[in-house]
Amino acid sequence: MAGRGKLIAVIGDEDTVTGFLLGGIGELNKNRHPNFLVVEKDTTINEIEDTFRSLGSLPGRVVEANPNQRDPPLWDEIDSRQFLNRDDIGIILINQYIAEMVRHALDAHQQSIPAVLEIPSKEHPYDAAKDSILRRARGMFTAEDLR
Amino acid sequence: MGTPLDGGSRVPIGCPAKLRRVTRKKVAPDLEVLTGWLSLAKARYAMGAKSVGPLQYASHMEPQVCLHASEAQEGLQKFKVVRAGVHAPEEVGPREAGLRRRKGPTKTPEPESSEAPQDPLNWFGILVPHSLRQAQASFRDGLQLAADIASLQNRIDWGRSQLRGLQEKLKQLEPGAA
Repeated sequence: MAGRGKLIAVIGDEDTVTGFLLGGIGELNKNRHPNFLVVEKDTTINEIEDTFRSLGSLPGRVVEANPNQRDPPLWDEIDSRQFLNRDDIGIILINQYIAEMVRHALDAHQQSIPAVLEIPSKEHPYDAAKDSILRRARGMFTAEDLR
Repeated sequence: MGTPLDGGSRVPIGCPAKLRRVTRKKVAPDLEVLTGWLSLAKARYAMGAKSVGPLQYASHMEPQVCLHASEAQEGLQKFKVVRAGVHAPEEVGPREAGLRRRKGPTKTPEPESSEAPQDPLNWFGILVPHSLRQAQASFRDGLQLAADIASLQNRIDWGRSQLRGLQEKLKQLEPGAA
């Protein structure tokens, strides 16, 4: 894996994920752990958050506010699917409208790797004002500095 | 006598410019993936509504494209998209000049299993419309842009942390200066 380089993960709508998989980023290994998530109408916010997981800085385990809400036997399965827990992912691409659903998780992610990139979707163009990274950086400067 | 800010004060000066670059670059994929979505829509129109989607994903996938992170100056990570399994062109033709063996057919060596991962276009059939290939090209271009943006974001984060450090040093200096 070290010689192969890191992966690019994607969390998006059907067209976005299909497009980037066509581009060649997809991995579905023997353990059936993909580096992509297609968000559909019935995809829950919990599922998106579990996949993304900003609390996954702890090695191999995730601390939850209320662990009783989740099925314990699925913990190991969930840990392996969480993109932030995986050390083989370098960039996470996420549609911005989906990022808005899990904004708190994105804001909590402070590490440089994996880099999280908010990208537009078919129906939701990119809005720089909502981007976590840019908002964080803009807070350091005044309006004059950014002209 | 030098201050802790000497030399380090240049660090945050470039950040607003980088912010503008990142914002401009983040708009650029809008165009690439927009072209990609349009091409996907055309392919779907040609092949059928359910013919281009998750139902066609392979059960086993290997990435054709990987990310290489190289450490630039000051420990910054710079990303580059690399295509996996790129082979040199095969040599076609007789390997030995001259002699031909007459005793039975020469056993040609079996082709080695290709190390190159399967092209995702193959998930959608043998003959795919041109629009699907165009979609693939657009999204590949988008991936390179994504790597550039990630590198810029890393730089901004680094600049931010440097700025914070300098601001704290400044605060420590102020009571002393007073």
